[in-house]
Amino acid sequence: MTAPPPIEQSLVVLDDISRFYGEVLGVNRVTLTIPSGITSLVGPNGSGKTTLMNIITGLVRPTRGSVRILGVTPSEPERLFRLVGYSTQFDSFPKGLTGFQFIYSFLRLFGYDHAECEKLAWKSIERVNLVEAAKRKVAAYSKGMRQRIKLAQALAHDPRVLVLDEPLNGLDPLVRAETIALFRELALEGRHVIVSSHILHEVDMISDQVILLSNGYVVAEGKIQGVRDEIVDHPMEVLIRCNRPAELASKVFHEESVVEARLHADGGGLLIKTRDANRFYRLLNHIALNGIEIESVAPMDDNVNSVYEYLIGGEEPGR
Amino acid sequence: MAVYKRTYKGYSGGLTPAWSRFLILPRYSFARLFQSKFLLLFFLACYIYPLGCLGYIYLAHNLSFLKAFNVSPNLLKIDGTFFLTFCSFQGAMGYLMTAFVGPSLVSPDLTNNALPLYFCRPFSRAEYVIGRMSVLVYVLSLITWVPGLILFAIQWSLAGWTWAKDNWWIAGGLLVGSAIWIVLLSLIAMAMSAWVKWKVAAGTLIIGIFIAGAGFGAAINSVMRTRYGSLINLSEVIATVWAKLFRVNPTTGIDLFDAWMSLAAACVICLWLLTRKVRAFEVVK
Repeated sequence: MTAPPPIEQSLVVLDDISRFYGEVLGVNRVTLTIPSGITSLVGPNGSGKTTLMNIITGLVRPTRGSVRILGVTPSEPERLFRLVGYSTQFDSFPKGLTGFQFIYSFLRLFGYDHAECEKLAWKSIERVNLVEAAKRKVAAYSKGMRQRIKLAQALAHDPRVLVLDEPLNGLDPLVRAETIALFRELALEGRHVIVSSHILHEVDMISDQVILLSNGYVVAEGKIQGVRDEIVDHPMEVLIRCNRPAELASKVFHEESVVEARLHADGGGLLIKTRDANRFYRLLNHIALNGIEIESVAPMDDNVNSVYEYLIGGEEPGR
Repeated sequence: MAVYKRTYKGYSGGLTPAWSRFLILPRYSFARLFQSKFLLLFFLACYIYPLGCLGYIYLAHNLSFLKAFNVSPNLLKIDGTFFLTFCSFQGAMGYLMTAFVGPSLVSPDLTNNALPLYFCRPFSRAEYVIGRMSVLVYVLSLITWVPGLILFAIQWSLAGWTWAKDNWWIAGGLLVGSAIWIVLLSLIAMAMSAWVKWKVAAGTLIIGIFIAGAGFGAAINSVMRTRYGSLINLSEVIATVWAKLFRVNPTTGIDLFDAWMSLAAACVICLWLLTRKVRAFEVVK
């Protein structure tokens, strides 16, 4: 087999992947290139997020297409599983183990010796702030602690690709913020952190890129602003805070690029819908020179929530 | 644009051999198993019969006892029948032990969705099954062929080299007969544990398979006027194999080849059931 090109050795590449469970579609014709950083998978129930994650982790073989995780294919499981760490969305724990035993015993499956496993287990437990609870049984952990110990087992063997299914689910705000900071830290170390989440504003906050899935197909992928720019069916919404919004409205309304202009409820701004944001921003510069004081210009719908709404519609984000 | 820098270094030390990794699975199982006082007592009770056999062997070689009670040395014979009885009794204890231990092998992992955790590591489904099975293999070995071989060794030391030379096949019978029984029980227990997540029901099913097999076998035999119904009676099938191994005439009326085929079929069915359930993901229909 020929070695993959060097650039591919730093990417997660899915090439025309399809996976069917009998007659049920998991994912269909998915082609993705995921660089390092935080990538979020978003989609309603049954959209194929977990199937995609299972394919990346090597747990499920695609019906067709090929997968390369940093240049390694699933046909080399010994190498692949050392590169990938997986945390499932389910509470998946063998019965009766303490937090430490849980991490330690799963590390032993990688073939590390006792001393190395102890060292790595404590290191990952420290990273998720569970040292004090490490000797307690996992069964007695709270939902948030169980999420963290799952994260610790995914991290423990120092993988380059982390696949985390709903990792923020059940965490209290403080731990959630700590966990997001940890994801950022891991991404800055050059790892791929692939998360699925149904909390869209969080996805917006943490992700370097987003993959939107619906009915097994990739609906959109990339940086969220870039994805928003591509959606031409829905005019972009912009909030302009200024001293004379009514006058601004009269000036912009006859412009071809403006579809809709309405005063903000608080009277201190103007909501504009435009089909050509760049042209509108140029126009705004011109208006600003003619006496209207513009305090701020903020796009209102270049976030995951809006993009999700436009592309996938009213379906509830999956859990 | 974010700039990412690889600042971490992966593990570069030695690895344990891949073949030995299944041994990690029973690591915590034994401690958990013997936390149950009932199971511990039952395990100890499994040694009552071997201790009785030990006493029997001692008395059979104790000339002063034989003289005092005027017992003929030929009456207390240590031969294939003696070890067949041992194997049958300990096999029955092993069967009950399996019904207690077996349900907790795979079902907790399935109930807790823990299988993806094993299979997203360099660890195959076969290694998982062998690892879980090894718990039963250890426990059943400790109550079947291990005490059996100890008794054989004691008899050998008391009766002398000539006895051992003439009866070496007994040791082989103990090993092979126990191994077949252990594999069969373990596979049945694993398959039931994988398919029936409720432990009590899985335990009942393990016992039920043998009872139902005997019942259906007898029904088929009487309705169809055949003997092939006995092939689904696993107790009779294994008794046939054991009898042949200990060079005793079987009373079951089952042909040895048919008995082997029946055992092989039971194992294949269990393996098939396991492959359907032991996998990293559940297919939602």
